[in-house]
Parts: sequence; C-alpha cells; structure tokens
Amino acid sequence: MKRFQARCISKGHGTGVALVCGSPIGFNFGVDVQTGAITEHKHELEGISFKGRVLVFPHGKGSTGGSYVIYQTARIGTAPVAIINRASEAIIACGAIMGGIPAVDLPEGDAYDQIRTGDLVEVDADNGIVRILERK
Amino acid sequence: MILNVDQKRMLEGELGEPAQVAMEMLDSLGTIFGAERLIPVKSAHCAGLSLKSHGEAGMLWAEEMADKGGRVVIPTTMNVVGVDRSRDLGLPEGWSVNQLRIEKAYERMGCIGTSSCVPYYFGFLPHFGESVAWAESSAVVFLNSVIGARDNREGGPSAWASGITGYTPEYGLHLDENRKGSMIFRLDTKLSGIADYGALGNYVGKKVATEIPVFENLGNPTIEELVAFSAALASAGGVAMFHAVGITPEAPDIKTATGGKACEVFPVGKAEIEQGYTNLTSSEEDKIDYVAIGCPHCSLNQIEEITRLLQGRKVAENVKLWVHTNIPIKRLASEFGYLQVIENAGGVLTQDICTILGCPEALGVSRLATNSPKMAFYAPGSNGMTVRYGSTEDCIEAAVSGRWR
Repeated sequence: MKRFQARCISKGHGTGVALVCGSPIGFNFGVDVQTGAITEHKHELEGISFKGRVLVFPHGKGSTGGSYVIYQTARIGTAPVAIINRASEAIIACGAIMGGIPAVDLPEGDAYDQIRTGDLVEVDADNGIVRILERK
Repeated sequence: MILNVDQKRMLEGELGEPAQVAMEMLDSLGTIFGAERLIPVKSAHCAGLSLKSHGEAGMLWAEEMADKGGRVVIPTTMNVVGVDRSRDLGLPEGWSVNQLRIEKAYERMGCIGTSSCVPYYFGFLPHFGESVAWAESSAVVFLNSVIGARDNREGGPSAWASGITGYTPEYGLHLDENRKGSMIFRLDTKLSGIADYGALGNYVGKKVATEIPVFENLGNPTIEELVAFSAALASAGGVAMFHAVGITPEAPDIKTATGGKACEVFPVGKAEIEQGYTNLTSSEEDKIDYVAIGCPHCSLNQIEEITRLLQGRKVAENVKLWVHTNIPIKRLASEFGYLQVIENAGGVLTQDICTILGCPEALGVSRLATNSPKMAFYAPGSNGMTVRYGSTEDCIEAAVSGRWR
C-alpha cells in the first residue's frame, strides 16, 4: 500500500476506484449532472462518468458557474466520491466544499503521477492523506 | 493560514452552517493562494447570480443557505440578474420564476438588490487602498485601476463567502508587491468613444492574459470610457488591474507603475485598434435585429447621448433596441424625460438585466449590434448571436435602419 501527504481542499473521507485524467475539467457546460459524465467535445473523458469514482485531474477550468454544477452532482448523487488535483483552484475548491465532496491537492513528490485509473484509492482529506489500497 | 478566534468559531460551526461553509471556502482559497491570514473587508459584491450561472442547483443551494440563517455582515451588493423586475419583457416563464427565486434567496441573506455591475456609479464606492471582495470582472478592474482600491478576481461563491464572514484571504492584489505593471503599451493614436477604448482593451487583454499592463498616452478618457476599457480587458484576458500613466492613482509615472523593473514596451496604434474591432466582429451580413447598449450598465450621460441620437426617429420595426441600466439611473432617466424619448422611439430601457446574462435570444433575435466590448466578446457563446461592433452612433443608426452602416 502506498501513502502520500496532500493538502486538504475540502474535508471528508472517500474511497473508490480511481479515474485519472491528464487534462483540466471544466464543469460549467462540460458535464451532464444526471449521469456524472463529461460532455465537453473531444475531452479525453468525453462520455465517461465520474459517479462514485475518485476523480484525479490536474485542476479545474472555465467559469465560476462550475462550482454550482459540482454542487448539483452532489445533490443528485452523481458526484465523484473524492477529488484529487495536482493544484486546485477556486472553482473546484468552492464546488467541493458546497457539495461536501472530499478533495485534496499537491500530493507530495511524484505522488500525483503514481495513481492510475483502476487503482483502489482512499482519500482522507481531513488529515491530508491519500492511500493507494490496491493496484489494478 | 492563521485564523483568529472569531474565524475559528465560524469554521467550527458555532455561528451556523452557512458561516461554516463560507469560512471553509475562504480557508481553502487562502491555502491555495498562499495567504498567511484573512483580512477584514468593508464590502462585497456577489456575481454569477444569473440563472445561466447558478442553474437550478445553485438556486436550491442559495435557498438552503438562506433557510439555514445565512446573513451577510457587510454591505453586499448584487450583480446583474436575468429578469427585469419592473416589467415583463416576454422572457420564458420557467426562466423568470427560477431567476426570481435566486434573487429572493440572496435578498433574504441581506444582499442589496441593486442588481447591477456598476454599484460604484450609485454610492457603493470603495476608496483608495481599501480592501474589498467584489466579483464581476469589469468592476474588479475598475476598482483596482481607476480607484486604487484592492480586490481579487473573486468568483461567485467566494464573494458570497466574504459577505457572510466579513473577511477575505490576504493574497494577490491586496498586497503592494503584486500591484506593479509588467508590460508597457505606448499609444501613438488618439482614441474616441467607448468602442475605441473597448477595441484597445480587447487587443491588449488578449495579449497580456493575467499580467498587469501599463498604458502611456491613454489620452483623456471619460469615466464611461474607463469602465468600458476595464470590461474589455477583463473579458478578453484575465486582467484584474491596469495602470495608465498620469490617469490612474498608482501610476503618476512609469517607474512607480512598474516598481522600477525593466518591462518590454509595445507600441500600439491604429492597426492594433483595428484588430480589436475585428476580434469583436463576428457577423458577415449587414442585417441587424437586435441593438443592445449598456454592458457595463449605462451611466446617465450615456443615456442622454442615446436620446440625442434618437430624437425624432423611430427604431425599425424588425429591430429590438435594449438599453441596459440599473434602478437608480433608470429613475433619473425618467425624471429628466430620457426614458420617454427612448420608449417613444420604440426602444426599451431595462433595469437589473443585461444581454449575456439574460436570454433575449428567446425572443427570436440573433443579429446583434453593440458598442460594448464585453457583450461583443461573449454574445456568440452565451446567446448564439452574431455581432457587429462599433460606436454608439453606428449602433443607433443600425437600430433605426435595421442595417449595419
């Protein structure tokens, strides 16, 4: 099991199968809140749902309306179970806090690059700890 | 960040859930942006209040925060919304009902329902050096640059959080060292009118992204030209502040504006202004069905100018002319007979709304003419419109003839 130190962006605790994305995610006008799927044209995760997954992506992008979209997924039940960013920004931070979704950023060293889609990952945002419980 | 006793109490939920959510946001943002502490702010301005930004989810969230006792502790004005509360503009009912629910929720939390992007025009006026937490990108630039107040590019939720708590994280433009210019733009041409200043702002905004530009020879702009300029820079780039030597208060000379560091100098002339006009034009046909002026919201001077241009003329039958302003300016316009001139000509003077955050496209219009560099920039994406961009005179001509020039 691998264990990394991270910064708490939004408190809470979540465990799930990682969904790793190399490019930023714009929630405003980029996500279907009913399914939790990315809808942005030509995005690497286009059509794939983050519902119940540990969503790993570099940072958010787009307009501040994205915070409300993240909140919407939490209300409906299609939100990720946790978020890991390389470096968070305001839209993701505010949206995760509004929605009660645990979120962390800046995992130490090359930790961010070690998480792979399919890994079973635990995010303890309260204590700033990320654990890879099982490799795919 | 190091929090004081009051801030810790809020974070622990002792002042209720909305204050806790607000303080969690500010704590997190402070962490992200490297702030050492929170500082008090004297006022806040909440943006993103249009249904287009909040969506139904945001509406439910705002209602929940109001239901749970969320109340602002500093004067917190509201930005533009999607419904004109004084009249029915024929917008879809579903839109209007939900938009009004958002406004009611924020008003229940104590926000001031002036619903405008230019509160500094009617008495909400920070002073030089004062730290505030205002969202609305055009106001951020205007406050930092023209007034010399201190404001970061707040998002909707973060400005709300500052209203609820009275604090903002001390980072970015609240700190002296971050307020210096890094790129110099030297004009060798004269600018005249909002559209010229908007074109320059668009050209430079695209070039500098999030740097602080310093302008030399910006001329003798009116306040309305400075407001349009601010809006253009903020929308075309991610600009939060500019300096104009001899005009803005933190730029008595180049050395003060740049902090003495060496900066590249970019000459700017007719070609660059033309480029700005080109950037903001997306229509290839002459037909116009919608003329919209007032982004940011019109001052009384701008409305008076429009009445002079409309005197004795009528808006063409297949054209809608919307002039956007806010409640106080509209009341003055009515006092002085300007509103009557506009409406007798067949135009509409709106309050509370604008084009990009409203949905005039629901009324079937799609060929916009405007003098606003911000509206011209966003309208293709936010409203599905094509755009002709030019002077106020050209826009009124288009309203009367139904054709661009």
